[in-house]
Amino acid sequence: MGTDGDLLKHPVVSAAVGTAAMAVGAAEAAFRVAEKLPVFGPLMRRSVTGLSERGDRWVAQSADQFKALVAAVAVGLVDLVLDEMDLNALVRERLDIDAIAADLDIEAVINRVDLIALADKVIDGVDLPAIIRESTNSMTAEVMTDVRTQGERADDVVAGIVDRMLGRGRDNR
Amino acid sequence: MISSESVPDAERAAGIITRGLAAVIDLAVVLLIMGALYGGLVLVRLVYSPAAFSLPSLNTVFSTLVTFVVAVVYLTGCWTVSGSTAGAVTMGLRVVGRRSQRVRLPVGLLRASACIVFPIGLLWVVLDRERRSLQDIVFRTRVVYSRPAAE
Repeated sequence: MGTDGDLLKHPVVSAAVGTAAMAVGAAEAAFRVAEKLPVFGPLMRRSVTGLSERGDRWVAQSADQFKALVAAVAVGLVDLVLDEMDLNALVRERLDIDAIAADLDIEAVINRVDLIALADKVIDGVDLPAIIRESTNSMTAEVMTDVRTQGERADDVVAGIVDRMLGRGRDNR
Repeated sequence: MISSESVPDAERAAGIITRGLAAVIDLAVVLLIMGALYGGLVLVRLVYSPAAFSLPSLNTVFSTLVTFVVAVVYLTGCWTVSGSTAGAVTMGLRVVGRRSQRVRLPVGLLRASACIVFPIGLLWVVLDRERRSLQDIVFRTRVVYSRPAAE
C-alpha cells in the first residue's frame, strides 16, 4: 500500500496525468469549435450520431457475451484463490469463534431437535435393565453377607459373655 | 471365636442372636401368610354375599388353630425340603439332623410344633455348650451356619 501511495505522488506520474488532462481539454475545445462551423459542423454531428448508434448496437449485442466471459474469469479466479488459501486456518486466525459461539441462540437449536427421540435413542443404546440387575444383585449379596457375618459375630460375643459369667473355658463348645 | 478357629472344617452351631432374628423373620412370614388368608376370606365372602357383607370376626380358637397349622406346615416344609426357612436363609442358617443333612418329616413336624408351643426353649441356646435349644436336645437336631463354600 505504501509503495502505491508513493507511486501516485511521483512527479513523473503527476506530469503525465496533467498532460493527459490538458490533451482531453484541448480535444474537447476543438470539438466544440468544429461543431460550430457552418458546413462541417452538421456533417460531423451526423457522423458522430451514427458512430454512437453503432457503438450502442455493438454494446447491446456483445454485452451478454462479455458478461459471461467476465463471470467465467471471475469464478476461475476466485477458485484459484480459494485453492491457494487454507480456509480453515484463515477462519481460525481471523474469526473469534468463541464470540460467535457465545452469540449462538442455542435455545432455538434445542427447540428444533426432537429431544425425546434423541433420549430414546440413547437409552436404547444403553442396556439399563442389565446394569440395574447387576448392581442390585451385587448390593443384595453384599448386604446379606454383611448381615450374616455380623450375626455370627454377635453370636460369638453373647456366647463369650455367657461363658465368662458361668466361668466356663471358652474353647469348650 | 477361638472355637471357630480351632475347628474350621466343622459346621459351627449358630448362636442366639442369629437364631432369634431368624425366628422373628419367620414369625413375620407366618403373620403375612395369615394376613393373606384373611384377605382371601374377606374377598370370597364379598364375592358370594356382596349385599350382606361385613368384615368377618373370627373365632379366637379357630384363628389360633389356623395360625398353628400354618406355622407348622411352613416350618416343617422349609426344614425338610431345604433345611432353611426364610428367616434362616436371611441369617445364613440351616437346620440339620444329628447325622443327616436333612430333617426327616416326622421330626420336622414335632420340632415345629414344639417350637411354636414352647418358643422360650430357644433361650437354652445361650446356656448350652453346644448351642442347642431345648427342641434341638429333644429331637436331636442342630442349627448350623450355612456357608456358600460348603454347599
